[in-house]
Amino acid sequence: MDVSVTVNGTTYARDVEPRKLLIHFLRDDLDLTGSHIGCDTGNCGACSVIVDGVLVKSCMLLAVQADGASIETVEGISENGELTPLQQSFNEHHALQCGYCTPGMLMSATALLRDNASPSDAEIKKALQGNICRCTGYWNIFEAVKAVAK
Amino acid sequence: MLLREVEYAKPGSVAQALELLAANDGARALAGGQTLINVMKARAASPDMLVDLNGLAELRGIELAADGTLTIGAMTTYTELMRSAEAKARPILGEVCATIADVQVRNRGTIGGNVCANDPTNHLPPLMVAVGARMTIAGAAGEREVTAEEFFLGVYMTAVGQGELLTKIAIPAGKKDGFAAVTLGTEGTCICNAAATVNGSVRVALGCVDAVPVLVTADSPDGIAEAVRAAGIEPPSDVHASAEYRLHLAAVLATRAAQEAAAR
Amino acid sequence: MTEDSTTTVAPAPVEVQKGWAGQSVKRREDKRLLQGEGVFVDDIKRHGMGYLHFVRSPYAHAHITRIDVSAAEAVDGVYGTLTGEEVAALTDPFFQISSAPGANIKDYSLALGKVRFVGEPVVAVVAETRELARDASELVEVDYEPLAAVVDARHAQDADAPVLHDDAEGNLMWTGLYSWGDLDAAFAEADRVIEIPELHFHRFNSTPLECDGALVEFNRGVEQWTIHTNNQFPGFAAIMMGPAMKVGLDKLRFVTQDIGGGFGNKITSHPQLVVCCLLARKLNRPIQWTEWRTDFHLSMSHGNERWFRDTKVAVKDDGTLLGFRTKALDDAGAWLRYEPLGGVIWAQVTPGMYRWRHIELDFTQVATNKAPVSPNRGYSRMQHLWFTERVIDIVAKELDLDPVEVRKKNYIRAEDMPYETPNGCVYDSGDYARMLDLALELIDYDAMAGRKAAAKEQGKLLGVGIGSTLDSGTNNFGQSRLINPELQFSGNNEVATVKLDIFGEIVVTLGTTPQGQGHETTAAQVVADILNCALEDVHVRAGHDSYWNSHAGFSGTYASQFAVTGLSAVKGATEMLRDEIFKLAGAVFGGVPAEALELADGGIRIKENPDAFLPFMACGAIINANNAGLPEDLDVTLNCRYVYRPPFEVPDVETKFGNLTLTYAAQLHVAVVEIDPETGYYEIVDYAAVDDCGKRINPQIVEGQVMGATAQAIGAVIHETYEYDEDGNLLTPNFYDYHVPHALDMPPLATGAIESPSPFTPLGTKGMGEGGGAGIHAVCAAIQDATGVVVTDSHNPYRRVWEMLR
Ligand SMILES: Cc1cc2nc3c(=O)[nH]c(=O)nc-3n(C[C@H](O)[C@H](O)[C@H](O)COP(=O)(O)OP(=O)(O)OC[C@H]3O[C@@H](n4cnc5c(N)ncnc54)[C@H](O)[C@@H]3O)c2cc1C
Ligand code: FES
Ligand code: FES
Repeated sequence: MDVSVTVNGTTYARDVEPRKLLIHFLRDDLDLTGSHIGCDTGNCGACSVIVDGVLVKSCMLLAVQADGASIETVEGISENGELTPLQQSFNEHHALQCGYCTPGMLMSATALLRDNASPSDAEIKKALQGNICRCTGYWNIFEAVKAVAK
Repeated sequence: MLLREVEYAKPGSVAQALELLAANDGARALAGGQTLINVMKARAASPDMLVDLNGLAELRGIELAADGTLTIGAMTTYTELMRSAEAKARPILGEVCATIADVQVRNRGTIGGNVCANDPTNHLPPLMVAVGARMTIAGAAGEREVTAEEFFLGVYMTAVGQGELLTKIAIPAGKKDGFAAVTLGTEGTCICNAAATVNGSVRVALGCVDAVPVLVTADSPDGIAEAVRAAGIEPPSDVHASAEYRLHLAAVLATRAAQEAAAR
Repeated sequence: MTEDSTTTVAPAPVEVQKGWAGQSVKRREDKRLLQGEGVFVDDIKRHGMGYLHFVRSPYAHAHITRIDVSAAEAVDGVYGTLTGEEVAALTDPFFQISSAPGANIKDYSLALGKVRFVGEPVVAVVAETRELARDASELVEVDYEPLAAVVDARHAQDADAPVLHDDAEGNLMWTGLYSWGDLDAAFAEADRVIEIPELHFHRFNSTPLECDGALVEFNRGVEQWTIHTNNQFPGFAAIMMGPAMKVGLDKLRFVTQDIGGGFGNKITSHPQLVVCCLLARKLNRPIQWTEWRTDFHLSMSHGNERWFRDTKVAVKDDGTLLGFRTKALDDAGAWLRYEPLGGVIWAQVTPGMYRWRHIELDFTQVATNKAPVSPNRGYSRMQHLWFTERVIDIVAKELDLDPVEVRKKNYIRAEDMPYETPNGCVYDSGDYARMLDLALELIDYDAMAGRKAAAKEQGKLLGVGIGSTLDSGTNNFGQSRLINPELQFSGNNEVATVKLDIFGEIVVTLGTTPQGQGHETTAAQVVADILNCALEDVHVRAGHDSYWNSHAGFSGTYASQFAVTGLSAVKGATEMLRDEIFKLAGAVFGGVPAEALELADGGIRIKENPDAFLPFMACGAIINANNAGLPEDLDVTLNCRYVYRPPFEVPDVETKFGNLTLTYAAQLHVAVVEIDPETGYYEIVDYAAVDDCGKRINPQIVEGQVMGATAQAIGAVIHETYEYDEDGNLLTPNFYDYHVPHALDMPPLATGAIESPSPFTPLGTKGMGEGGGAGIHAVCAAIQDATGVVVTDSHNPYRRVWEMLR
């Protein structure tokens, strides 16, 4: 099926099998390998992206379902190659080790802060609940997000 | 990952969706996909066609009638419900939805999908039974309404037949509700759960203990544990709980949910 | 995680920090990872590559009576398949580390004739797309004749137990008796002998978020494979694969860049890598293999499950520990992929943190119809240390003594360091009592009695527990000879190269395969200090490439050693380079002696005459591109390779005596749990983790490791378990049932650190990162404290706590 999506401002039109998951489409067809795959049950959030303003796990919908949508992925966060305050905060707080969960974490944090610029501690943790990290124990990720919340 | 081949259709109306479903035995409705896509990844089920309900505005939205009845479109997501001012009329709904899975799942998972999936560990089937929800099912022959108790038939089986759709759920007015669960980790998958409503007597629906929610009633929260034990429930054993432990939890959680409901 | 989620108490620096080392320099690998520009194995693509999908066994134990791949191969877009029969024709079985009977088993990279666990790879199918490869694998016909399975290690040696490996004539894989000191005397001296019938350490692993994978290319012209992979110990994979494939190691080029977590679990992917290699050659195209989560759970690197049976502890009434006897029964799963090394690795920490001198441990490892075990963070020591800690708390309970006092009475003391253990290991440094004091202070131990009473009022049970681990790092591979005296391994090594390139670039290559430990950053810190230059001027190559010639037999990232082996290699190579720069500058300046020169501002100058300055760029250019006229005897390449080799002797095989590891980092954790007695549900309400890993090159990175290990411990003790039903089906094959803690599951954490520099390492550092086991015990002990019931299992989900309270 023909699918046209705009990812980080660039429009891509492709012929896609309906069965293809959005994450495979992004990674395999569009070469946007920043979003990752950490599970096969929708638990880990490594594949999180924002579709038409809504944070989703891109392994939990089909690419054809995103037809016409505007998608934001980790590759689109930085402007002109510079780290944003959120990304810098991750660096400063050592909120990543292997970095495999990081793209998904950043998307979840981005969605949170867009929705709620001054989240409480509890709101930050709840916003990150859908993202598994096996390296950091989350404490530093929490601190990194908290530091950029107003 | 890596689903079997499947056809995809995105109907523009409920009528069209019903036609597609009726015309094709292997067609399945795709709501939030937060259960169905997983099942397809495991290749445990492989529908021939997915009929995507996401474009159907008719199935979305929440209305509050003068008598306090809430009517919730099947395709309303948990997030929409949590944010809805109308849905605050029955606060338990938003409260429970806020503890289902995580932000991403709540952003896509739907009320209709949750009850149609009728996974025994899901949060909403027992809640719907406790609050006395009524489900509207549409098919070629028109619409019919069933109570939540009649709706749930078995694991992943409901009163929605082949070629039919759940279109909306009506929930009567009320505030005295409670919900208690023991979950895998904080706000995780339920090991056992109980939803309660106090309206003169106490109604408690238990999840995870049988293929469908189990309804028990008592005159007061104090009597509910006994009622649970007398209900002849034979819960399943699995890696998270033995039958015995589940049965014990059922009594404890039923009491807690009932007490919470009574205290409101 | 609640409000102030972290509190940190850090030691005063041991010495005045002059340079970069000791500072929490921000990690250099972060930028690419934060921008989605890391290169993980599944990100790598090649023209014409084929995707590999494994057909896996649905049975725990069965004969394979027929395999037919024709229907799969007939599918348009399917490139080909590989079966066990082909593997057996093309390769030899993998070399076995074990002595007999384990030595006799024949392990190929695909099942041959028989399957031995659910999820075992049976056939590989390669196709044009991932989806198609999976579709076609459903068309592969395999007929099985199911056999009875053995799932419980305690019954593996029963007379009627099904036998996995006929070649081994039973399920016993390896056994060895370890006995040190004078057990009879200890038990005679004891006031009491405390008996513990059975303790169980459960099966789980660290589930790195990225599963295994590879992209393998075969160059027909030179008959050489390039293996892009996330295997974390290419040195080990190479020595397994080369002989099996009957090729020299130079034919196997390993390349890694970013790895999405390893924790030991990515050491034993060599069977899958062999399959990729054979198919790359057979099909003449690059082969891409990505393991999915369920595949990983079913088949990859479970941690060693261990039973401790018939334990007898010799104690004095005052709590003095004299010694113990126990029988350790270890469940290897279906294959020995790194095993039975677990049968000796525990001996690095034989007495735990305690001064008992009389220890006997009868170790037996058996095969079962479950996924093979392999190293997992804290490998084999974690099990043993959990056991020793359990003994302490059970003894304290039996003697009605305070677990804090029993520990303090028996701890190896700071003044005893370096301390030789009963089996000849040398604990380099440490102060366990001080760590415990610090941890108790962080948790406000004195307030516990009041908190317990307050919890009781609320109908809750509160308990506090202590756990500790020793993170022994830098293995002496000579210990493998205690498993099999025939083995020709000993010592350890790691390599680094540092060079000055034409334009003055300082380029560092490592032999390691980091998975988040920040090697690019810490290595740069060490180099910049020695060359007295800016951090930005140091370029540390990401990842590993065996073409860089910066690896040796033990290269890799595993077993807590980078801060010792990796950084010492970096230090050695950089010092060589520094000396060469001095020599070169001396010659260029016309015979100026080294003492008169100094490194500064990205170059070298004459101390007395700073204007006489030779920037690194000039040094690099002179040697590499402008060298006419240099003195003939100037022996300078500006490309220095250093192999760090820790000082080790081969341990004595007869007495099983000798030093098995170089450094001993220590972890002391205290957990406070609050239990709902009605449901068994509990929460960790407070947590303190104190770490001592000697000198810390980058305290922030060290703290990050402590936090991550703690989170894994919390997951393991409450939720994470690989549990099987009696037919050998894994009941937790994905993240639904194998619950991994998330942000809401984390307790408030207070971290603390002391620094006891290692006297044995060039930088005073100790390997670290594997100390999670401390947390497992801390929670077990807290549950015991809260319930008053002896905890006998390392895994305590709510249901078990409820059962304990009944
Ligand atoms: C990681 C994770 C954790 C989760 N944890 C929980 C949890 O703790 N509690 C919980 O309750 N749920 C949980 N879920 C499941 C989630 O709530 C799903 O959203 C829900 O079960 C199904 O809703 P859906 O809209 O996604 O439906 P889908 O997955 O699209 O559909 C589910 C089934 O219902 C049918 N269906 C859907 N809508 C209709 C309709 N209108 N008419 C007829 N048939 C229909 C579909 O054909 C399909 O068979 C979790 C999911 C994930 C991925
Ligand atoms: S890969 Fe999408 S949630 Fe794990
Ligand atoms: S940093 Fe490795 S999984 Fe989060």
